Amino acid sequence: MTHSLHRHGKEKDLKEDFVLMFLLSKIIPQGTYDTMKQIWEILAGYEQDLVNYGNHHPNWGGGPLYRMEDLKKADNSRMIMAVFKDRKALTACLNELKERNLGISVLVSGLYNETGKTCAEIGLKPHTVNLSLGIHGNTGRLPGENQLEIQTMCGHAMVSSHLILHLIKEIEAGAVTCREAAEEMARMCDCGIFNTYRAEKILKRITASSHSR
Amino acid sequence: MIIDKEKCIGCERCHPYCPVGAIATVEWEGESVSEIDQEACVECGTCNERSSICPVQAIYMPELKWPRVIREHFSNPNASHPSTTTQGRGTEEMKTNDVTGRYPPGVAGVALEMGRPGIGTSFRDIQTVAVVLAGAGVAFEENNPVSALMDDIGAGTFQPEVLGEKVLSAILEFKISNDRLGEVLQAIKKVAARIDTVFSLDLISRVDGDGRIPVIPIAEAAGFNVRPNCKTNVGLGRPMFEEACK
Repeated sequence: MTHSLHRHGKEKDLKEDFVLMFLLSKIIPQGTYDTMKQIWEILAGYEQDLVNYGNHHPNWGGGPLYRMEDLKKADNSRMIMAVFKDRKALTACLNELKERNLGISVLVSGLYNETGKTCAEIGLKPHTVNLSLGIHGNTGRLPGENQLEIQTMCGHAMVSSHLILHLIKEIEAGAVTCREAAEEMARMCDCGIFNTYRAEKILKRITASSHSR
Repeated sequence: MIIDKEKCIGCERCHPYCPVGAIATVEWEGESVSEIDQEACVECGTCNERSSICPVQAIYMPELKWPRVIREHFSNPNASHPSTTTQGRGTEEMKTNDVTGRYPPGVAGVALEMGRPGIGTSFRDIQTVAVVLAGAGVAFEENNPVSALMDDIGAGTFQPEVLGEKVLSAILEFKISNDRLGEVLQAIKKVAARIDTVFSLDLISRVDGDGRIPVIPIAEAAGFNVRPNCKTNVGLGRPMFEEACK
């Protein structure tokens, strides 16, 4: 699962995009579902700072995929994902996780320099990294950069490039707002790692010349 | 995925939701209805439950038989792989490396996320890449669901019946010593020109005590641009037996 690693965009935009991840290892036990519940309780304290979150058990059928109140009670969170747009909030949360010393591996996906600053501020040393070496092969088949910026926020590609174009047309026609379009895209991302805040900003940029609301 | 033409009202709302653009309008018994191209469909389920966009519930998942069922396993993030019994295309890779030690100092992890982002891939293209990597002396990760479909993991070849199957993504994953990383990255660069799809490339490394990432100069020397994005394991993991010893 490397679905958060290849997000496209300018560095100044990626500074508003951090995915905090937790995984219960099946190789060497390092925690329990109860530990994961404790993590949701910690994350709930940062709910106002979270752009998106999930545990890979989405509620399909319309409406929000996840509700924090449900996640705090969930006893099946093998994975936890939470998206921050603000590094200071991420740092505060990571510091709390460090102090709680829960024993679960913690990952931060985002700009390495920014993650490095966060680690340094709270006395952590990065242990292992997974670097992005970009996209290769028949890259002529890729959509344009605007679409890629949005599409790569769901690394499983559940946010179709066709849906992005369709919703851009809907915005330009005045049928939906940029916020509503971003939320509709986020609904496709089972993991809850789609950065709705960034997507809205990108859609506003793309449709700036039209009469978007 | 199948659209029941008897139920479909031809509203086309489902069309843009398909990640591979497999839904189109056709004429059927004098009506305009939607149809899913079965060759292109990767069985990801987005047009069905995920989007819940059909106003008349005309879209359904038929019973998928082997080998078509692997389309769902590799395209629907909510589906579990029979070989690993977990969701996800790959393994725990470096996510728990602070506890598992899968990647010690001096050993890199490489993953080719075939078909990503958003293009999809056939297993024929995956085999083209796998055979080249195997020829370069790579040993594929055995617990990866892609490896489970190979008929000769040492040669990088797949069971013949899966070669025509198309999926949204599948990950070729292996470890390699840092001193052999450069030549393998060169092989990856060469085979990239021979496939019809794309792949996102990942490189895993321990971080040295002084904060240095030793694989970066190797990747750059092989002609790869290391992007500023990165997934960082911040080293907070601890095995449970240590808890018990406290």
